[in-house]
Amino acid sequence: MTNNPTRTGRTRLAGYTAAAAAVVLLASACGSGGTGASASPKNFDYLSVTENTTIKKTLTTLSTTSCADQNKALPLKVDTVPQSGLDQKLQLLAGQNALPVQFAAGNAPALTTQLFTAGNVANLEDELTKLGAFDQLQPAAVSTIKALYQNKLAVLPYEYNIEGIFYNKKVFEANGVSVPKTWDELVAAAAKFQGAGVQPFAASGQQGWPLTRLVSGYLYRSLGPGAMSAIANGTARLTDPEYVKAAQQVAELGRKGYFGQGVGSIDYDTAMNQFLGGKAAMFYMGSWALANIADAEQDTVGAENVGFMPFPAVAGGKGSIDQYPSNVGLPVAMNAKGFDQKTGDWVKCVARNYGSVALKDQGTISGFKVNTPVESANAVTGQIRDTIGASKESVLWFEALFSTKATTVSQQNAASLVTGATSPEKFMQLVQDALAQ
Amino acid sequence: MSVDAPLRTAPAHAARPAAARRRRPLRGLWAKVLIALLVVVEVYPLVWMFLTSVKSNSDYLNHSTWSLPTHWEWGNYAEAWTTGHIGLYVRNSLLAVVPSLALVLLIGAAAGFALQIMVWKGRSLTLLVFLAGVMVPSQLILLPLFTVYFRTGLSGTLWPLVLTYTGTGLPLTVFMMATYYKTVPRELFEAAAIDGAGILRAFWTISLPMVRNAILTVGLVQFFFIWNDLLVALTFTNSQDLRTVQVGLLNFTGDFGATRYGPLFAAICLNVFGTLAVYLFLNQKVMKGLTGGAVKG
Amino acid sequence: MHRVLGDRRAVAILLGPALLVYTLVMLVPIGWSLGYSFTKGNSITGFSWAGFSNFQRLADDPAVHDALWFTVKYAVVVTAGQVAAGYALALLYTFYLKRASALVRTLVFFPVVLPTVAVGLLFQKFFQVAPQTGPVNSLLELVGLHSVDWFGSAGGSFWVLVLMDVWRSMGFYAVLLFAGLVDIPEEVLESARLDGASGLRLIRHIVLPLSFPVLMSSAIFSINGTLKVFDSIVALTNGGPGSGTTPLTLYMFQTSFTYGDYGYGSTIAVLLTVLCLLVTLVVFRVSRRDLTKG
Repeated sequence: MTNNPTRTGRTRLAGYTAAAAAVVLLASACGSGGTGASASPKNFDYLSVTENTTIKKTLTTLSTTSCADQNKALPLKVDTVPQSGLDQKLQLLAGQNALPVQFAAGNAPALTTQLFTAGNVANLEDELTKLGAFDQLQPAAVSTIKALYQNKLAVLPYEYNIEGIFYNKKVFEANGVSVPKTWDELVAAAAKFQGAGVQPFAASGQQGWPLTRLVSGYLYRSLGPGAMSAIANGTARLTDPEYVKAAQQVAELGRKGYFGQGVGSIDYDTAMNQFLGGKAAMFYMGSWALANIADAEQDTVGAENVGFMPFPAVAGGKGSIDQYPSNVGLPVAMNAKGFDQKTGDWVKCVARNYGSVALKDQGTISGFKVNTPVESANAVTGQIRDTIGASKESVLWFEALFSTKATTVSQQNAASLVTGATSPEKFMQLVQDALAQ
Repeated sequence: MSVDAPLRTAPAHAARPAAARRRRPLRGLWAKVLIALLVVVEVYPLVWMFLTSVKSNSDYLNHSTWSLPTHWEWGNYAEAWTTGHIGLYVRNSLLAVVPSLALVLLIGAAAGFALQIMVWKGRSLTLLVFLAGVMVPSQLILLPLFTVYFRTGLSGTLWPLVLTYTGTGLPLTVFMMATYYKTVPRELFEAAAIDGAGILRAFWTISLPMVRNAILTVGLVQFFFIWNDLLVALTFTNSQDLRTVQVGLLNFTGDFGATRYGPLFAAICLNVFGTLAVYLFLNQKVMKGLTGGAVKG
Repeated sequence: MHRVLGDRRAVAILLGPALLVYTLVMLVPIGWSLGYSFTKGNSITGFSWAGFSNFQRLADDPAVHDALWFTVKYAVVVTAGQVAAGYALALLYTFYLKRASALVRTLVFFPVVLPTVAVGLLFQKFFQVAPQTGPVNSLLELVGLHSVDWFGSAGGSFWVLVLMDVWRSMGFYAVLLFAGLVDIPEEVLESARLDGASGLRLIRHIVLPLSFPVLMSSAIFSINGTLKVFDSIVALTNGGPGSGTTPLTLYMFQTSFTYGDYGYGSTIAVLLTVLCLLVTLVVFRVSRRDLTKG
């Protein structure tokens, strides 16, 4: 998923180099005229990232089934580029006025917004309304996209994820713990598990974001849904006491050892495996983990024993427990200039059918409505589908509106925050300083 | 200061076996233990890599890192081959590495010859300019190079890789070749040149065979630098068809930071054991050169 | 006498190609990039003249101070480690294994070939504390000590990094130094032995001084490599925890490309280049002096 820069060695290196290339390319691309390929596309081109296979597979399925006619008129053609090389590629293509019909949006919302302003990205609210397909989108997904892209529907929600805490029902039962509704109950539950010799939380400190999301989760509950946009527009600072408090709460969990040993070097797969292997009671994650939960080989706990709860409320806080942190996975934008009749037909067909096919074939929840009923693979999937369907308001995540520097600083120091190597005040100061630059 | 020593060939032991035998060895148990330890420290990681390449993801995550696979997941290799497009990427790597290696060695040796054997004003300054290049961090030249390659229409081919590898490999090569030529007496070439062979011919027919071992050694070092490069390859290749082996290793990372460790290590093993074969082959050559050629003047 | 060797046309033909490629691929881009150190911005937003403000910022930036200190510390420790381990191995090859050393030399050389990614994962696994206890921590527990969360502190990460880079390249330096040791004339060693020198005394008084030049050149190679360390740190710690293991190269790279501040990034690169130059000059000086002495 684009909004969480992956942080394993390879991808890091790749990210750095690709970022380098991207900066370079833009300058170069601007210099060369390039032949505009936007007039009337010959293919339904889709530029994806290598890491994501779901969208590619689902669109391919659609091209031979429900959207076969549209595919005949405008054949689907998929090209891929590594996540880390995406920005570079997009900037090059945009500079040459040769963006494909639809493409994975850049790693930071800012790039897509720039492209949008420059008239390269279609306003999908207008286009879908014209096509009479706007009602095919889940309201919650629309709200999330608008929050990310300055109130514009700039991308399609081929994936739609909400985040919360997955928990191991068996462990909860065995320890007589009921699902915590407030932060204090959560802390008390964690203490009980720790006392019983069960690691309370699994989390990847190497990735960093699973930890900072606890901070933003707390902030959204204590200060309300506007907590992070207040930082972005400068009306509040992370060093303000009410913000530091969130970091303190999370650091406190770490100080008590609730994340287990060596959290800083736990990678994404290990954290997932700790939870699915029954070694940890709770796991903050997004709904994309449903695919792992449904996989019996990975999930030795059993899907029926996994529960999902919203991030708990904070006593006296302004936020509500049903405002789920959410994202659109790999956001896909469409080229404004190539949006003709045939493209419109394709998009309309996609909007009608994507939701059910993705869910049925890939187990992926999208931001499109599911028009052909699909049986949920397990109870927790059903629960999350219902939650998304009923959700009206969503919140973002800690780094969603940050600059790249602040994002890096935040995710790199997250592990130090919970191991105690960096104090909560210092952590918030570091991120705030990075934001100020 | 002399860098030539490591490149000098004198096969002391081979030439004087009797003397070598007379040397009193530092015998003792500690030396044997040390060597055993050394072998373990060097070989075990290879074994680890191989074992990891036949483990499933849950196996990798759930069991001790030194445990044997619970079942042998040979499918990882099939996946490595297809997902990693190893065939195509090896071809690309070879297409980038071989020409740059040949180029850097040939023009590097020529430059070393010109700087050390030939006599002209400004040669020590020129050598210093080359030497300065050894110290420049390569991240510094990425942006300008990219602009140049793009504007000249070279992007989209493997030429940017060949050129960059050649350019960045030159400083060390030139410097090492120059210091190596220091041990070759100039008079040899003068005599040859006066005998009717031009100096260019003398370079080609007399000096190159003499520095054969130096070329092999430098070539070996450069080969590993270039083969293992990720930074340059990733910056300058912008299409799937141009990716090199190292860039291909990125294909095993999924969404959200998930990694398919088994296939990744299978691809690494294919890569590593491939280079091992090349190394053993070249090593044979180097050793033969070292012991066989008493070429020093 | 030197007329043949002074043939300008021949010099041009021999040196020309190398100089051309080197100028185009290295010198011009270096100058070009260094020019950016007086500017602000990146190629998306465009560059604007910034005078010496980047250098002012460099002097005041605490992150640069930390990175500089880390770079120097890392370079000194790793260079010492690489050369010392390489030298020890070379002695082992020369005086103990002798002609049987080919196999061991090959084995010890081999880690140089491994992709950095693989080596990074290897060391992460070997030093891990959770979810499974890695071999190193198991060993610590075996001798009655506590496991250590190596990557949880800058100090622990530093030592794992050092160990990793020494392990990776000691074989390379061993081969370089081995070639130097083999060159020591047998007669010299023989006569020293007749004088009663043996074992460590022999090494200290005869072998070490005679192999000093090659030791020096190894040190120069090593320090130039370690001052520019990048890949191995990215693969093992990515500069973490926090910025505890961030060298100048990584900081420069993040600044230029991730944060899009190319001008300031180039300024950091200038600092690094100057540092490399200084160190090399010092090492050259030391080696010269010693050579003239004996």
